[in-house]
Parts: sequence; C-alpha cells; structure tokens
Amino acid sequence: MLETNLVDYTKFRLKPEEEIREIFRGVNRIFIFWCGKCYKKFEEEAQEEYDELLKILGEDSKKIVGQLKIDFLCNNFLSKKKISSLDLSGCDSVGVISCGLGVQFVAQVLEEKAVHTLADSVPQSGNAASEVGYHGISLEKEKCAGCSQCYLNLTGGICPVINCAKGLLNGPCGGAKDGGCEVNPDLDCAWEKIYERVKKQGKGLTLESIQIRDYSKPLLKLKAELSSENQTLREESFYGGLYPLEKKEETEDKKIEDFPEPKVVTIFLSQHTGRKARPLVKPGDKVKMGEKIGEAQGYISTSIHSSISGKVISLEERPHPAAQAKDLAIIIENDGKNQLDLSIQPRKDFENLAKEDLLKIIREKGIVGLGGAMFPTYVKLSSPKPVDTLIVNGCECEPYLSCDNRIMIEHPEEIFTGIRIASKILGAKRVFIGVEDNKPEALASLKDSLDRPSSFEIVSLKTKYPQGAEKMLVKKITNREIPEKGLPLDVGVVVLNVGTVLAIYEAVVEGLPLIQRVVTISGENLSKGGNYLVKIGTPFKDIIQYCFSGEEKELLERYELKMGGPMMGVFQVNWDSALIKGTTGLTFLKKYPIEASPERDCIRCGRCVEVCPVELYPLYYAFYGKRKEWEKAKEYKVENCIECGCCEFICSSKISLLSLIKKEKQYASNSNKT
Amino acid sequence: MLAIQIKPEEEVLAKIFGKKVFIFECIGCKEVYFPREDVEKFIKELKEEITGKAVLDYLCNREFAREYLRAYSSQIKRAETVLVFSCGVGVQVISSLSEDKAVLTACDTLYLNGFQGLRVQDFNCNQCGECYLNYTGGICPITNCSKGLLNGPCGGAKDGKCEINSEADCAWILIYKRLKKLGKLDILKKILPARDYHKIIS
Repeated sequence: MLETNLVDYTKFRLKPEEEIREIFRGVNRIFIFWCGKCYKKFEEEAQEEYDELLKILGEDSKKIVGQLKIDFLCNNFLSKKKISSLDLSGCDSVGVISCGLGVQFVAQVLEEKAVHTLADSVPQSGNAASEVGYHGISLEKEKCAGCSQCYLNLTGGICPVINCAKGLLNGPCGGAKDGGCEVNPDLDCAWEKIYERVKKQGKGLTLESIQIRDYSKPLLKLKAELSSENQTLREESFYGGLYPLEKKEETEDKKIEDFPEPKVVTIFLSQHTGRKARPLVKPGDKVKMGEKIGEAQGYISTSIHSSISGKVISLEERPHPAAQAKDLAIIIENDGKNQLDLSIQPRKDFENLAKEDLLKIIREKGIVGLGGAMFPTYVKLSSPKPVDTLIVNGCECEPYLSCDNRIMIEHPEEIFTGIRIASKILGAKRVFIGVEDNKPEALASLKDSLDRPSSFEIVSLKTKYPQGAEKMLVKKITNREIPEKGLPLDVGVVVLNVGTVLAIYEAVVEGLPLIQRVVTISGENLSKGGNYLVKIGTPFKDIIQYCFSGEEKELLERYELKMGGPMMGVFQVNWDSALIKGTTGLTFLKKYPIEASPERDCIRCGRCVEVCPVELYPLYYAFYGKRKEWEKAKEYKVENCIECGCCEFICSSKISLLSLIKKEKQYASNSNKT
Repeated sequence: MLAIQIKPEEEVLAKIFGKKVFIFECIGCKEVYFPREDVEKFIKELKEEITGKAVLDYLCNREFAREYLRAYSSQIKRAETVLVFSCGVGVQVISSLSEDKAVLTACDTLYLNGFQGLRVQDFNCNQCGECYLNYTGGICPITNCSKGLLNGPCGGAKDGKCEINSEADCAWILIYKRLKKLGKLDILKKILPARDYHKIIS
C-alpha cells in the first residue's frame, strides 16, 4: 500500500461548554442527530463527540430522549429517509452535532421543530480572505478556494489566495519576520515561498502585474445551474449510480460476424448457477454438434452440449473464467465437419405446444441467463409465485459492451417470438422491453418490427449505470420495490435478458441448444474488435490472437483482461480459459502504469455512499474487510449488494471493494445456513 | 464536488515555456462537472510538441501522483513545461512534487455549494468557526445573505428578493418567517457579539 501522510481534517467540534448548557436550559425533551464525519482517516468507529456531550451535560443528559448517528448527514436523500422514518412527536426540540451543512439540512426537513446546533465548524482555510479551504477528495495539505480565476500560473504553483493569511495577490505585505507570517507565526510567508519557487524555475516565469481579484467571477447563475445539473444527475431514474465513459462507439456499429471455427474447445461442466452437470462422454468418444455431453443434476442445474463435432480428448480441470479456480471441463477436438446432432430439429408447430412442453425444451437445451448471471432459465420461468409482468432487459448499461444492442438491431423478429413463448409460459399480462436511450438504432428496430396493436411496450430508459440491474429496472418500469434480499418474483415480475430471449427462440423454434452466443470483443489495442457469434468453449487465446494486435507477452504486461465489461467483469488472472455461456464480452484494459498498488486508507469521503444504487454504505465493507472482521459486514446489509462495482469505480483511495464484498457476502450466506 | 472551467486559451499559451509540453489530465472526482471535451479540444490545438500525456483520476492523491510522475519521468524530463488540467489542488500537488519544472494550469476552479461535504447541494457552509444557526432558525445568514449580514436585513429587498441577485430570496426574510413559525421571534432581539474572524486562523 502507498504510504500516506494525511492531514487532520476535522470539520466540526462541539460548541463551548457554557453555550451547550445554555441551549439545554431551554429544552425539556431533545433528540440528538450526530454525523459520522467525513474526510477523516477511517480508523475506528468513533463517537467521541456524543460521549463528550454526555460528559458536559451530566444530569442534563436525561433530557435526551433519543439519539441517532447518521453517516454523511448532508446526504439529503438517504438522511431524509432516515429522519422522516423516526417518530419525533415526543420531543420538543432536536440537537445536531455536525458541520453547518448537516444542521441546515435537518432544520429544513424538520421545519416545525426547533433545531439546535451543538457544534461549530472548524475553519479550514486558515485565511480570512477566503472561507473555504479543502474540497473534493483532498486530504493533503494543498488547499483550493475555488476562486474561479486560478493564479497558480503566475506564482510557481503556490496559491497566494489560500496560503497568504491576508490573501494578497500583488506581493508580500512586508510584515513577515524571518520568513514567518505576522498574522500567524506558525505559517511561512507565502510570498517568500512564491519568490523562491519562481526563482528556482528560472526565466520561464516572471512576476508581472496580477489583475485584481474579481469577486463577481463565480457567477451565481452558473453555479446554480451546475449545482442543479449535478443534483439531477445524481437522482435521475434512481438514487446513486454513475455515468462512466460508454466507449461503445468502437463496436456498436459492427455487425455480428461468425467467429472462425476453433480447433479445440474447452467446455466447462459448470456454466450455470447451481450444481455442476454430470459428464456423459469419456475420452475417445465421437460427438456431434449440439449433442448433449453433460446432464443436469438436481433442480437448479442445466445440460451442457457440444458446440462442435469431433472427438473428446480428455476430461480435465482448467481455469474457470467466472469462478477463477480450476474446474472440470470436457476438451473436444474439432473435426471441422460441424455434423449436426439428430436432436436438432426445427419445429413449426411451436405455437401449439403446452406450457410444460416448452419448459421441458428450455431445460433440455441448456438455456441460462445470458446477461452474465447464468441462472437456469427454466427455473426462473417455472415461478412458484404468481407473475403478471415480464420485463425484457435490453439496457446493456455496462460500458464497452454492445452485443445486446446488435441482437436487438439484427434479430427483432426472433426476440418478439421468444418473448411470446416466455410470456405464454409465465402467463404474464404485461410485457415491457427496457432499452437505454443511448441505443436509438435498437429502439427503432424494435419499434419497426412490433405488430400493432401489441401488448408489448417498449420503454426508453435514461442511460445511467446500473440501469440494467434487476432492482433498478423493476422499480423504474413497474414502480414496484423489490424487498431486501428478495427477487423480482416477490413483486410478480420476471426479468429476462434479450440474449436469453433469443436463445429461447432458437431452442424452441430451431431446436438449437445453447452452443453459441454473441460476444463483444472490445477495449484498448484492438485490431479486430466487434461483435462475434462465438461457439461456447472457444479458448480465450484464440480470440485474443484474432482480435488484438501485439505480442502476447507484451499484452500480458501492459493490459488486463476482463470477462464482461469494465464495471462488473471478472478479472482474468489466467488467460488459458475459455468462453462460457455467461461471457457477454471480453474487454482489454490498460493497467495502471505504476508498480506499487495504488490502494490507500479509506478517508471517509463518502463517494461510495453517493453512488451505491441499493443505498448501502460500502465504506464499512472496506473497513471491516481490511480487518478481516467478515461477520461485521452483515450488520451493514452486505447481502443486498448487487456487485455493480460503482463503489470500487469511484473510490478515491482505490480500494478493491468488490473482492472484499464478495468474501463478506459468502461469509454472510454461510452464516445464514448454520 | 467542484466545477472546472478552461481558461482563455491566449492566457495559457502565452505562459507556456519552451516548445515541449507534458500533459497531466485529471479526470477528476468522476461525477463532477469536468469539461473533458473542452480539454480534448484544447490539447488538439496545442502547437507545442507533446512529449507525453498521463490521464488519471484523483490527481490530488499525492502518493498516487508521485507514482505517476515516476512512471512518466523520462517524458517529463524531455518537456520544458508541465501543463495540468485539474482543479487547483491537483496543480499544487504536481508543482510541489516537481519544483524545478514550470508547472502550468489551463483551468479555473469554481466552488460549488456544499462541496466541502458529501455532495453538491443547495446548502452551503463557509466553515466560519462560530455557528449562528441557533439564532436564525437553521438558515445560515453568512452563506444565504448576499452581503453576509449577521444583524438583520439590509433593507434593500424587493418583494422578498435580494437586491443584489433578484433570483435569490432575502435570507433575513426567510429567517424571520422560520422563527415566526417556531414561535421564537424573541431570539431576534438578542444582541450578539460581532463576528470573530480571528477564529478562522486559530
């Protein structure tokens, strides 16, 4: 970890004792809110301010009828929820321990109550000429007043607005003694430092006349606009989330092409949630394309089929791309003939098939969710609870990926047939197809192929990550809230990915098992990126060789490979893996150019809380994860995490939150079983 | 939690020292207003030779920035000026880490309300060191009154709006209304000591 030397950035402290006693003289029953603090090295869960308050109050502390610690009290969305859920009718006033932001916020929410502040903010600028000092993520000693007319170019990179106690812009006041400031002897004279620095840099910089600071420059109107724009973006469509760079332009216009035949395929027996399939073949066996080579075991499991015709070479353990551990796979050598198995028969009478027969086909053909989760589709479709709504997920909010986009553009008819089959099985009354508005072509293509009048509704959704997560999607489209730890089924909804719907069509109408899928190959250093129809079991190395330029050794050094997109994709330690049913894409990303791990201590900046779409407090997962106190994360509802990766993406300390969260979730689910 | 604006081009170009430039582009606190397109355009139109470019986030993270300076050291060595696209903190970090290079910025930093807390919002806190909110019904006169008055309205408000910025409400009228609602108008009769600016540096 990088060595860090962070400054103390305490934003508030309790008011003087007499003032607090004075406040308490005037109240009878008071409720206290106290902020968990921000921008502070996260070392322990301190409640020093509250304890100190009790000490000051002594007998008077009996007047406190309740207290609540709220992390990031100024987060007006989450804190409002917490505050309004409380019954405060029993108290005559409310006390707040926080900086001025928290107090003003509470006073606004509880307009009818007398709100007392029990703390003073701690000035950060150290300079009377500008009030604000630190901002943003910084916990370093550099400060910025956001004066909107940066003088650093003239002053060798030392800011006179913030470092000179008088905020002088045109040179020293003349009062400095031995390089120390006359206002605050602890400080160096900023102008002496500026002089030294500029001298050091040589003739490039000269001190010339500086224009008078224009206090009207931070235009109120502009500020108001930017501020409201930022706030709308934060809460648009759903709370939290992100707007990462889409990077879809590289591949979104590339038509789906057939990927060259692999010479050998590695077909894993675990390509779904649930129990591993049982192998049906042994080394030396001849198999045909589409032949079943793995039998489902148990209810939550599916069959596995050969994606080529040829000879089984061996059954051995290979690195699994999703589990990132060795797992059993069937290795088959391609004979290049692509002989079809006899079980593959197109069916014209599929409209007459009963619900049970359709389900049987979907199970037999090994269909799983193709959005990445690989949940067996027949389990999802044979819902034990009543379902009235089917949502087809065409959001594809993950950056870089565009395979679902291409499927919607090129196969709208097939998608609609697939939807009809699925909704017949479910008995769904309403069908929605949700597509993000960054895919106008897909939206148009779907709309064009839709027969009218139709019970299907195409919904254009705002582009925001993770709009495609089930929880966000269901809430946005049906306005139903999935309960904690619940599934869409609990609110009568089933969500299927567009790719899955296409697979259902292929299985039922064409008789084709799930032996190939559309995959986006994207990222940096691409020579032939695009969307390809790739056979399941194709080695990643084949794809890398075909699509990326450069020597493998160089690629290994400078790039990392993710299965899926950059946000939720699984980092591939070993490139000797092969394509599975849940591979939505392969993305090549540049590694950090630095050698040391960029990770550093959590500074409680709260940005993870800002972006978490399921309204969790991920900083605690990092905190307890680092201490290996896995069980503590459960108290912070780690099981609700959807692993969207927003927190890790935004983390200013570059903590690998996802890996910690995955461990904590595992721990939580194990402890539930016992 | 802050906004960045690109400085007028002439202003920056006039300051560039030598013909070779290395560029640091901070993509910022990610969800914050940062004009990436303007930055790209600016870089494209540079006539100077670009010896290298590092794009990173959280340039204000000193140790991270130091590692980047190390990783790109040969390219930076060849350059005569280091041009930084970031907020004021990022520029100061880079210039304090490479003191003998001319470090320039092409950006102005604009302060948005509430940015010292968690999110951009309608509230603001100037960290004055002596919170007045107890006397003003939870509405801050320092940040909400254009003149920062502590002892009541200036008298210039028209129809409840501020005379300086007609879109803003007069903070003191809001304070009066809030206190009236709470039945605590007598607070306004209390005489408070003058604001102690010394607290800012103590």
